Amino acid sequence: MGRTVLIVDDHAGFRTSARRLLEAEGFEVVGEAADGHSGIESARLLLPDLVLLDVQLPDIDGFEVCERLKQKGPGPDVILTSTRSGSDFGPLIAESEALGFVPKAGLSGRALEGLLA
Amino acid sequence: MALLDDPPPWLLWGTGLAGLAAGLATVPLLLNNDRVDGGSAFAALALLICWSFIGAGLVAWRQRPASRIGLLMVAVGFAWAASAISLSDQPLLFIIGATIANVWTVLLFQLLLTFPDGRLTTRNEKLLAAAAWVSGLLLQIPALLFQAFPDPDLCLNCPENPLLLVDSETVADIFLLLQALIVVPAVVGLLVLLVRRWQGASDAQRGTFVPVLWAGGAVMALLALQLIGLAFNLNGPITGAIVPLILIAFLLVPFAFLAGLLRTHLSREAAVSRLLTRLRELPVEGGELKGLLAEALGDPSLRLGYWFPPVSGYVDQNGRALDLDQEERGRFLSVVESKERRIAVLLCDPALAGQTQLVDAVGAAAALALENERLEAELRARVADLQASRIRIVEGADAERRRLERDLHDGAQQQLVASALSLRLARDKLKSDPQGADELLAQAAADLDLATGELRELARGIHPAVLSERGLGAGLQALADRTPLPVEISEFPDERFPSGIEAAAYFLVAEALTNVARYANAGKATVAVARKNGHLEVEVVDDGIGGADPAGGSGLSGLADRVAALDGRLEVDSPPGRGTTVKAVIPCEL
Repeated sequence: MGRTVLIVDDHAGFRTSARRLLEAEGFEVVGEAADGHSGIESARLLLPDLVLLDVQLPDIDGFEVCERLKQKGPGPDVILTSTRSGSDFGPLIAESEALGFVPKAGLSGRALEGLLA
Repeated sequence: MALLDDPPPWLLWGTGLAGLAAGLATVPLLLNNDRVDGGSAFAALALLICWSFIGAGLVAWRQRPASRIGLLMVAVGFAWAASAISLSDQPLLFIIGATIANVWTVLLFQLLLTFPDGRLTTRNEKLLAAAAWVSGLLLQIPALLFQAFPDPDLCLNCPENPLLLVDSETVADIFLLLQALIVVPAVVGLLVLLVRRWQGASDAQRGTFVPVLWAGGAVMALLALQLIGLAFNLNGPITGAIVPLILIAFLLVPFAFLAGLLRTHLSREAAVSRLLTRLRELPVEGGELKGLLAEALGDPSLRLGYWFPPVSGYVDQNGRALDLDQEERGRFLSVVESKERRIAVLLCDPALAGQTQLVDAVGAAAALALENERLEAELRARVADLQASRIRIVEGADAERRRLERDLHDGAQQQLVASALSLRLARDKLKSDPQGADELLAQAAADLDLATGELRELARGIHPAVLSERGLGAGLQALADRTPLPVEISEFPDERFPSGIEAAAYFLVAEALTNVARYANAGKATVAVARKNGHLEVEVVDDGIGGADPAGGSGLSGLADRVAALDGRLEVDSPPGRGTTVKAVIPCEL
């Protein structure tokens, strides 16, 4: 059984592509959410191993979602993603409690495994 | 009351002749009676008083028709003449004369009370005037109902009183006392008011006030003393000595008024000539002109507003807009014009409303200097406008960059990411699942098409290629084709213009059509672009709901700045329910 993943991103096209890609590489995608608040709610209900979290969301940004997920206990692992490059966000990624960052165009099961290991 | 405000010559002459006749009519009464001392000397004095008031009143009426002082002086003259009727031996005439004997004093009271505009305005003024009329005329009637004549104290040689109801000196005295009780506080009130008015007056005004107020105030004070004497039966030496003093002070009033008028006239000429000399002598530096004008007008509170044509309003010396509704509260406004062009407005002390000739003369004398200052103020206002619009342009450009970044991120970039992921997945499946790989490749191609479309749209928003390559006509046609409602291009120029002008016209039409499609609920729109008199005129008209606010939303105001940067102007006419017209006029003469 692969790791369970929740995808939080406001672009439906990306969620579909990411789901197909990750499932092909052995992950089990247990849910999708289109904004920060519903992402937090879904994580609480679905208890995924990993949250693939877009940085720019329509309500609250990915850094804040990450902080809230980690507020009560260890929570799921978080990997941030964006169409932008990681360096666009300065020190924010390093300062967050996320495991790391994967640019959307470079998303693959292998890239996630690398960060999870 | 146009007749009173602008008395025609016949009215002035007629009044003068009537005054002459009224005066002459009193002569037999004054000479042929045994009730007043002084005989012909008194008659001459009385006649002089009558004619002086009427004459000075007519001069004042003609010179300052807006003020009621002239009319009041004429009225005092006539009332004075009328009071001589009381000298008649005919009982009915005698008692009519006795009834109206005090009217001249009441009119004089009102004249002083309302000096210099002759109008009752404040509540206090109205109250005091009412008290004077009640005491001087109204209470005179009941007093006479109980006063028998001849009376050994009051009038030994008077005829009988046909009004007599009951012969009761006590009741008559009560009314007399009542008159005194009302009139004495009223006179004190008047004197207090006059002192206050004197304290609040400018130096120039004091010159005109003082003589009249002194003479008139003296008459009033003496009359009040006389009435007290009568009420308390202090006859004899006191009242006897007061009468000639009253007459002399009374006679001085019209002459004091004429002296004040002359003095105003002279000081006005002096002020204007001093101002002209000063304006000739030295170049007037910033702010100095205001000081010179304030000095000439005797109004340190003077403020100046300069006409600023672009907003059809006034600005101060620093080019800041003046809110006249706020500023003019209680001020007297005098607009300075030259060759029918508005230059400035003088915001004066309200007391100067009575001296419009002075204010006009000072304004006319300083028109040239004011025009220079106006140009400076206009320059400052334009610089301030320019700075504000420059900031808006920079901010607008920032906002535009943010919008581009967001559009790229939300649009093309997402499509490209999606197609990259699809391609990677397809590669992995190429051998194991060729059909799945095929579907993924088709998906990737579709995403790439979408991304290309998004990028094309964005590029067109940054600068439309058709505009730079084929000019306004083709650019406008492309805009019309993309607008989701019928757009007619009724007119467009074949020639090419500088790229800044073409871009301004193009984006103006683009923004206007976007607004029409989004908000106007219109059936169609018409675009007309034409070169007229060295200007490119761009007009977009729709038949929608109107009510567009050019200040709201940055779309049109950003375009207004773009047009203003080319020295053009943008107008939006959007009456509710009657469509919207957006029109820009941009200079394009090379």
